[in-house]
Amino acid sequence: MTKRKISRRDFVAVGAGAAAAGLVGAGSTSAAETTPKSRVVMIRRKDVLGSTGQADPEILHEMLNEAVAALFEEDSVAAWRRMVFPSDVVGIKSNVWRYLPTPPALEEAIRSELLRAGVKPENVAVDDRGVRTNPVFKRATAIINTRPLRTHDWSGLGTSIKNLIMFVPRPQDYHGDACAPLGAIWHLPQLEGKVRLNVLVMLTPQFHSTGPHSFSREHVWPYGGLIVGVDPVAVDATGARIIEAKRKLFFGDDRPISPPPHHIEIAGDRYGLGVSNPDRIDLVRLGWKEEALI
Amino acid sequence: MATSWAAPVVGTMLAGILMACAAEPPPIDELDLVAAALPPEIAGWRASGGDQIYDTETIFQYIDGHAEVYLAYGMKRCLARRYSGSESEPDIVLDLFELASAADAYGVFTHDRDGDEVDVGQGALLRTGWLSFWKGRWFGSVYSEGESEPAYDAVIAISRAAAEAITDEGEVPALVSELPVDGLDLRSVRFLHTQEILNSVVYLGFENVLRLGPEIDAVLGRYDREDGNAWLLLVNYPDTETASWAEGSAAEAGLAVRRDGVRLAAALAPEPASVADSLLADVMGEGL
Repeated sequence: MTKRKISRRDFVAVGAGAAAAGLVGAGSTSAAETTPKSRVVMIRRKDVLGSTGQADPEILHEMLNEAVAALFEEDSVAAWRRMVFPSDVVGIKSNVWRYLPTPPALEEAIRSELLRAGVKPENVAVDDRGVRTNPVFKRATAIINTRPLRTHDWSGLGTSIKNLIMFVPRPQDYHGDACAPLGAIWHLPQLEGKVRLNVLVMLTPQFHSTGPHSFSREHVWPYGGLIVGVDPVAVDATGARIIEAKRKLFFGDDRPISPPPHHIEIAGDRYGLGVSNPDRIDLVRLGWKEEALI
Repeated sequence: MATSWAAPVVGTMLAGILMACAAEPPPIDELDLVAAALPPEIAGWRASGGDQIYDTETIFQYIDGHAEVYLAYGMKRCLARRYSGSESEPDIVLDLFELASAADAYGVFTHDRDGDEVDVGQGALLRTGWLSFWKGRWFGSVYSEGESEPAYDAVIAISRAAAEAITDEGEVPALVSELPVDGLDLRSVRFLHTQEILNSVVYLGFENVLRLGPEIDAVLGRYDREDGNAWLLLVNYPDTETASWAEGSAAEAGLAVRRDGVRLAAALAPEPASVADSLLADVMGEGL
């Protein structure tokens, strides 16, 4: 496990683009062998979901801060201050998909931590479909990227990497070959180097899709987790392993995610956004350990 | 005299008939007919919010990540209607997709073949809270946003009402019957046109080595036999030149293929590899 501290200067370069490879280790095998592992924190709390399936805002906020603190090996206040400057304009890229949205409580927790780190209220916005026209996102210097993990008909999985697709005018242009080119979006001028944190919501992940609306309550389960990291590839690859394991458990046979979510690996290998090989991921586990599946 | 007034009257009538013939009657829109035939209240659930109609552009606003499935089958429009029950009951969403042909409606239906068979339309499958069916050139989806016994019954009732609102029936694509029966898992059969749909079942990669496309019909089935298992794909190309081109590129990509005129058969993901030969021989003859 690397003990390297991530400096504020690092953060200016982290999150997207080839610069991320310098921090997290990505791309070729030789680079992977010589660069530090990519740290990912997985935190779970059995009590985060109430009887209705809604997340408890207070517990969720605690989980977020514990994860961020573990990610940067500092207390959470210092960790958030590593991520953003008071002068930053921050877009919280959320996900509003009707059946499994980013929990509003999590959006609010992120927002309140940004304010506590000194970012001005008028310089923080939460958005999904409107990111291309949102005035805060248009002048954003930093992005916090958060969404629930779910299976997806064209990309295999709806991931942190995929969550930035709303920044392009024609998302369908990135749907070819199971959304293989999604990583390219992270290199667009409005995004390059701006993503400071990825929070993959694993409270009730979705492991299989059915029907036009791609959702069935039968195919989500209370996992009670968050996967947090700077490296979106490592975060998504970790989530993907959990979904694969859940599918095997549920279907009783080896039923791989279809189509394969190879955009995760490609985002690392072709676009230098991070590492997908579990051997290159420093996975820190916090909280509820049972039924973690990985 | 009778003729003195009859002539101008007949003339006026003839002119009227001619004018009526010249001005073509407005075409009958099947979607309008289907929408009109859908009951506003079914099993205690009432239509709410008004019907929404989506076309090939606006469908992306309605469906996140699944629209391409319908577009791959020549979707023209989608009629969406929400039914609301009592306060404690979940809403039920009815989506009727108008496809290019009955074969395409069947194709969409075969895209997801999990579930229990129920007697709705020309084929229907019921899973937890979701029923899909096809009839004529329509694919129907009825989805309950929550679970309850009345909602379960309402999903089936709404599906039946929707299927009855569609008057025409269609045929299962003839190509389906060309799949050899021995070892075929009937529930695995899919009718498709494009590489993207094939990839969602058997992933072949980015390159379209089989030269599939919107104008090409293909049928896929899963085989489990004594000598192994594999997927068998039968493709009908528009001409021998295209079929020959596809045969060459598929063979170059390492796929086990055999061609007869415009028909190509490919054994995909065979386990062990030898099962490909027996499967292809069954469908295309022993070959040379």
